[in-house]
Amino acid sequence: MATPATTLASKLPPRLLSFFARYPPQLYSAAVTPKSEPQSSTKSTTTPLPETSSAIDPSTGESTLPSPYTPNRDAGGHKRPDPSAFSPSKAILATTAEHPNPFLPRKNFRTGKWIGPRVGLRVQAELVKLAAKYDIEELLPAGRKSTEFKETRRAERGLAIKGTGVGQKVKGHKWERTMETRLDDRRKAMMEMPEAIRLWKQRGHGRGWKKWPKR
Amino acid sequence: MAKKSKSRTVAVRLISMAMTGYFRTMIRPRTHRPLSMLKYDPVVKKQVLFLEATKGGRNK
Repeated sequence: MATPATTLASKLPPRLLSFFARYPPQLYSAAVTPKSEPQSSTKSTTTPLPETSSAIDPSTGESTLPSPYTPNRDAGGHKRPDPSAFSPSKAILATTAEHPNPFLPRKNFRTGKWIGPRVGLRVQAELVKLAAKYDIEELLPAGRKSTEFKETRRAERGLAIKGTGVGQKVKGHKWERTMETRLDDRRKAMMEMPEAIRLWKQRGHGRGWKKWPKR
Repeated sequence: MAKKSKSRTVAVRLISMAMTGYFRTMIRPRTHRPLSMLKYDPVVKKQVLFLEATKGGRNK
């Protein structure tokens, strides 16, 4: 009798199977790894305020989302966000001492040196894509390539493109902005065209015409 | 010194009444009444009414 887990495992590609054999989901997956504190709402949808930094104030617990505009480095007052500050996306990238996350770099506290992740970013991305295809992404360890991390960071930072934030519009070209009204005018004019032609013919092909357009 | 005489004809602009911005330029005698005709507008791909545009609304 096959359990759901074994039937699932029989469907998975060997690459994922060998990864799970090396890093069993019950020890390494994002679901069992506790996220770092403090826990705040990871998917905040509040409107980004223009003049706030990306840092989150842990005392108030409010996430002050950054502007979707690319910050101008020359402008006075622009500060780089504090790299040590807590953020929801960083909370996702959690690791435990006994089972170090293979997707994250580690610091050797004795020598003070950093050790790169056991699985590189390129392979991580491939594994995440493969796992997403089989709908088992949550069995992988938490990493920078996971959908959850990317979505959270997108919510935090917004797109670095002007006008794509919540409640903003892309300005676009003038012809794009005015297209709707122009097409409306044209549609209206074409609806009235047979009547206008009839009137024009009735008034001696323009002899009695009063409403000449202005240039 | 005598004023320079005006030319006998004027170049006028006939604007498509389909509000497409399409126009044709024609030459008519200065004393003639304003031009208006049915012409093809390639934007709406139909024959539509073209009327002469006034310069400051001085058409009769």
